[in-house]
Amino acid sequence: MVLELHKPRPIWQIMFSTHHTDVGLLYLIMSLGFLFLGGALALAIRAELFFPGSQIIADSMTFNRIFTVHGTTLIFLFILPSASAVGNYFVPIMVRYKDMAYPKLNAIAFWMIPPGGALIWLGFADFTWYATPPYSIISAPGPAADMWIFGLKILGVSSILGAINFVVTIMKCKHPDMSLGQVPLLAWSFLSSSLIILVALPTFAAALLMLLTDRLGVSGFFNPALGGDPIAYAHLFWFTFHPEVYVLVIPAIGMMYEIIPRFSRKPIFSHASGLAAFIILAIVGFSSWAHHMYATGMSFTEKTVFMVGTLAAVPASAMHVFNFLATMWGGRIRFSTPMMWAVGGIALFFSAGAGGVVNSAMPLDFVTHDSYWVVGHFHLFVMGTIAFGTIGYVYYMFPYVTGRMYHEVLGKIHFVLAMIGTVMVFFTQHILGLYGMPRRIYDYPPIPEWITMNQIATIGAMLIGISMAIWLGNMIYSSAKGPEANMEDPFGLGGRYYYPHTQKNPHH
Amino acid sequence: MRYIVGTFVVMTVMFTVNVVFAATAEPGEYLDRRVEIWNLFFRMMVVAITIGAVVSGTIIWLIWRFRESHPNAKPTKYEGTDW
Amino acid sequence: MRGLIGNMSDEHSSWPEWVYIGVVVALLCWVGAEAWNVERLVEHVPEDAEIIKVVGQQWFWTFEHEDGTKEVGELHLETGKAYKFEITSTDVNHSFNIHDYVVLLDAVPGRINTVWFSPTEAGEYDIQCREYCGLIHYNMRGTLYVEDPS
Repeated sequence: MVLELHKPRPIWQIMFSTHHTDVGLLYLIMSLGFLFLGGALALAIRAELFFPGSQIIADSMTFNRIFTVHGTTLIFLFILPSASAVGNYFVPIMVRYKDMAYPKLNAIAFWMIPPGGALIWLGFADFTWYATPPYSIISAPGPAADMWIFGLKILGVSSILGAINFVVTIMKCKHPDMSLGQVPLLAWSFLSSSLIILVALPTFAAALLMLLTDRLGVSGFFNPALGGDPIAYAHLFWFTFHPEVYVLVIPAIGMMYEIIPRFSRKPIFSHASGLAAFIILAIVGFSSWAHHMYATGMSFTEKTVFMVGTLAAVPASAMHVFNFLATMWGGRIRFSTPMMWAVGGIALFFSAGAGGVVNSAMPLDFVTHDSYWVVGHFHLFVMGTIAFGTIGYVYYMFPYVTGRMYHEVLGKIHFVLAMIGTVMVFFTQHILGLYGMPRRIYDYPPIPEWITMNQIATIGAMLIGISMAIWLGNMIYSSAKGPEANMEDPFGLGGRYYYPHTQKNPHH
Repeated sequence: MRYIVGTFVVMTVMFTVNVVFAATAEPGEYLDRRVEIWNLFFRMMVVAITIGAVVSGTIIWLIWRFRESHPNAKPTKYEGTDW
Repeated sequence: MRGLIGNMSDEHSSWPEWVYIGVVVALLCWVGAEAWNVERLVEHVPEDAEIIKVVGQQWFWTFEHEDGTKEVGELHLETGKAYKFEITSTDVNHSFNIHDYVVLLDAVPGRINTVWFSPTEAGEYDIQCREYCGLIHYNMRGTLYVEDPS
């Protein structure tokens, strides 16, 4: 369905629509908006750390609020909704159904996000995206902290509603001619990540309620002064949020499964292996949550169990990498912008995964835990893999969404700058962690190595910032003035796209 | 033959278990955790960087060899079909 | 699986992928075994280790030696001895870290966590907090003075 190119509609018609492409468009625009907001906060953090001492941020409280909202925004208001955007556009088409299973529920799930985001941004809490008690109970200033809790609650419900919708659409509404195994891997990625959400998220929902009543002083679940245990919160939190890491990364892998065969001009090397890896990851992902907590005083046995559980998730991820490389092998690859992002994402996915294996080795946690190594590690995932896959996919679906073509050269410049910047920021942060710099600090002692590496990281971050500005300009200009795309084959590759632009929108 | 191999495997396992569990610090001599932990780190980084070189080397070679502008690039057998 | 995938069966050998998975699994087993062994070695506390009680609070460290001497913000130890830290907190979570000696453990209110080490070289080392604990987390620092026994 080409939007607005031939038959423009007033904006309220899109806003109050329940059609999956309209809801997908809303998800897409909102998530990209939050990407730029959260990215601006990241630039502020990097600018502050360029030199020791106070630079552009007045005090440590403001700094703490900035990194808290940065993390919360990019995870809950960029990565999750941008995946939902792609899912909304493509899952119904891939399972050959006219819409999502529950269109109204779909629109409701979307419209819960703006109030959730508003609570987070208007409150501007300071207790990190992890809201760790007892700090969050006895020390974090309200009402920011309470607004954050309510915001996350709303976003959590929205996630669950979205997940139910994806599961039902794929399992129950797929075309009867198609077996579940034949459903394309992008749709499968939404099925497996949605199932993870349904199992994992209720735990965090419960923990949030307990955190709220603890803050109100009527309970003491996590408050040691009242006989509670802060480590219990850590278990509840990570039981949700380690699997959630896979919820974030699996759709990005699914997007690469769409881009890489398309631009290699041959089908995926092994559909079966990609599908098996999704299922394995969705199950094994639940066995590793406490590897975030080695330093809280766990016993040797507990640590061993969670190390083995963590390592067990690696082969499934490695299977994806094999599948991608084997697909490219023997192809005739056109390196248009989406393909460049996808291949860059695979390269960084390996580095992030190798860092994860090192983290999970128990004794090395004494070196890496809560240092900049960890910051570099998970940013290689969220930026290097997830954002790269997602940005590549946004380029890929740009003609489908707007009916116009983006500017190819600017897209490639965007990729090159962002790739260099990502390597400069996050690889350097790994080394910074080895030198012992703790994360979440407003200021640091003038140790020469720390200063140099912080400056390299800041310059890299500015490169990413410039590249993202180029992207924003490219998207805005091209969606209004870009050349009309050939909807049958916008990238000149042949084959069958999931681009049924003639699809009927009953609200049109 | 099978018995010889079996005996050898069992002996290796028992030897390893012995080495692992026999390690106890002598009085007055303490283990240096810096040495143990950093050595482990560097052993793992050697392996990680080796594998990383293989993986990224493969990716770079694939990009170079199978780009559509490569002199030997051939259409895949799926091109022109509705795959 | 065949039935589920139906006619999606792939047209090539899957042996390379199985070999690849085998290599990955073998490497992971090696990582796990090595890590397990080193962890076992560093967790074995010597019996004659002196106990140092460490208390973290917003935003400084307090140390109490076995003989009852207390120090705030700095800690004096001797080379060639083993020390066992008993770490706790009185308010929020902190993380006790002497990066130069790879000592790191969370200070959690209501719990006592232990970690041990033995300083080998005289000198001054940084002590820092690695778990976010609020306003002055960035400056919750101390100094470890290691001296040769007199």
